[in-house]
Amino acid sequence: MASIIPNVIEMKAEFVQAIFETLYMTFFSAIVSGVLGLIFGVLLVVTKPGGILADSVSYSVLDKVINLLRSIPFIILLAVISPLTQFLIGTTVGTTAALVPLIFGIFPFYARQVQNALLDVAHGVIEAAQSMGSSPMEIIFRVYLKEGLADILRVSIATVISLIGLTTMAGAIGSGGLGDIAISIGYARFENDITFVAMLIILAMVFIVQFVGDLIVKRVERY
Amino acid sequence: MAVSLNNIIELKDISVTFKNDGNVVKAVKNVNLKIERGDIYGIIGYSGAGKSTLVRVINLLQAPTSGTVSVAEQRLQELKPQELRQARKRVGMIFQHFNLMKSRTVLGNVEYPLLSKKISKKERREKATNLLNLVGLAKYADEYPSRLSGGQKQRVAIARALANDPDVLISDEATSALDPKTTISILQLLKKLNVELGLTIVLITHEMQVIKSICHNVAVMEDGEIIERGRVAKVFTAPQQKLTNDFIETSTNVQAAIKRITAEIDLQLAANQRLVYLNFVGNTAKEGIISGLAQKYQIDINILFANIDQIDGENVGYMISIFSGQPELINGAIKSLISADVKVRILEVGGSKGDEAANGVDYSERN
Ligand SMILES: Nc1ncnc2c1ncn2[C@@H]1O[C@H](COP(=O)(O)OP(=O)(O)OP(=O)(O)O)[C@@H](O)[C@H]1O
Ligand SMILES: [Mg+2]
Repeated sequence: MASIIPNVIEMKAEFVQAIFETLYMTFFSAIVSGVLGLIFGVLLVVTKPGGILADSVSYSVLDKVINLLRSIPFIILLAVISPLTQFLIGTTVGTTAALVPLIFGIFPFYARQVQNALLDVAHGVIEAAQSMGSSPMEIIFRVYLKEGLADILRVSIATVISLIGLTTMAGAIGSGGLGDIAISIGYARFENDITFVAMLIILAMVFIVQFVGDLIVKRVERY
Repeated sequence: MAVSLNNIIELKDISVTFKNDGNVVKAVKNVNLKIERGDIYGIIGYSGAGKSTLVRVINLLQAPTSGTVSVAEQRLQELKPQELRQARKRVGMIFQHFNLMKSRTVLGNVEYPLLSKKISKKERREKATNLLNLVGLAKYADEYPSRLSGGQKQRVAIARALANDPDVLISDEATSALDPKTTISILQLLKKLNVELGLTIVLITHEMQVIKSICHNVAVMEDGEIIERGRVAKVFTAPQQKLTNDFIETSTNVQAAIKRITAEIDLQLAANQRLVYLNFVGNTAKEGIISGLAQKYQIDINILFANIDQIDGENVGYMISIFSGQPELINGAIKSLISADVKVRILEVGGSKGDEAANGVDYSERN
């Protein structure tokens, strides 16, 4: 073992730490951007012209904000957002500081995915709910989110997988995590086994997310 | 404005105009419509006539550009959003594509409107189960809609629409996606609900057959306007508009029969023959008037096509036949038919050239 991956064995503690940091970043930014993405996704759907709370001004503002945020390359977002990070977290480096750019990097993407999932809910079903006297809140929670749940779960899996990818880039601001180890140690010191093992662990995480996610979707989508 | 207690729905001067990037569509133009409590009111028209837009005004799913809407003595436009939602619960709606929630079971779909009511889970379940019994689907309670046939889905939709105990049920082409046999069973169910629950039904369709089988009143729509309306039996037997007549003749197969007989079959009428179209109303259909006529006037009557319909409880008959005999006798026979309230139209006169005869002479129009 030691002869195949000598540096990894030597840096076992750092690896365990990096795995923990990656999970930490993924988990907390997924929770926050999940909530933000759901809220923005739902708002985009209901305020859209013809929607249940149609409001063309709100819609076009939301739509543009999401588009704008999605257009900023993540590596630049990491730098550009640092004043906000400083304000919110008190520092611009480290694992917790990386949560801010991660959230802003992923939630607009997720909001769009949620929007698309909810737009797939048949218009007729919404109209039927309106004809039965349902309020906008009832329609959001009992129709949109219920009918769109399986699709929302599907896009959530894809989003978490993208997010794992983004956490590796956050290494650029000293976030720690597997990406950081792979680049700042494995790549910089020509310790290829470190880069390679970091990649394998990330792949394993992605497979687990996909596998568990698919199981949940299957359970939800019994119809 | 006085609102009549008998009219559960009163639409006054309703217009709906859509404006899409400079494109203006007047979907409904100045329509007045009163529907009596307990009625089954049909609205017929071709695609794009504005039927759906008009009925969506009844529960303000479509806000009218102008005009007033009253349902059950309430002026809907004066209500606050919360009050409007309560008012909507009194108007159930079913649709061509059922619009069931795929993620809820049959029972779950019927329970949905009850979720906002302050009743226990048990009561809710009980009520939904009773409704499923009413539409004959109790044993499918735990299935998902995707496993049901079109007719079954529409029954679920009907049960769901009834969950709020509405006074009115709006049916927007509810049978248009169903086969003829299933259509009949759904229409019978609607009829049963009308009779047993006193439910007022507003039914949109583009098939006269549907109007004929359950409606008491009908309005014919064209280009956003109601061009003709009245009791179904009356509209059927004395249509005033060409469009109405088209719908009727399509539904009775008369149109097709006339075409077939005058064009496709190479009819050679002798000089003493007339091709005649007869339309019998009510009791006249029962009297065997034709056979009496043949004897009395000494003419031959050869029946090429005949059809009898039950319309809102009345018999209506249609017949295409060749009258052979002396012209004066044939004219006498026709006059006696007209005086017995039979509508007569001469489609072709033997011996004359096709053109003028093809237009037909409509004696009954002279009345
Ligand atoms: N939301 C809308 N925006 C713009 N135009 C509309 C809208 N809804 C309906 N229209 C237009 O209004 C007219 C009437 O449409 P409507 O759906 O009421 O007809 P319909 O009689 O129900 O037809 P169908 O039998 O096809 O259902 C059509 O020209 C249609 O294109
Ligand atoms: Mg329509």
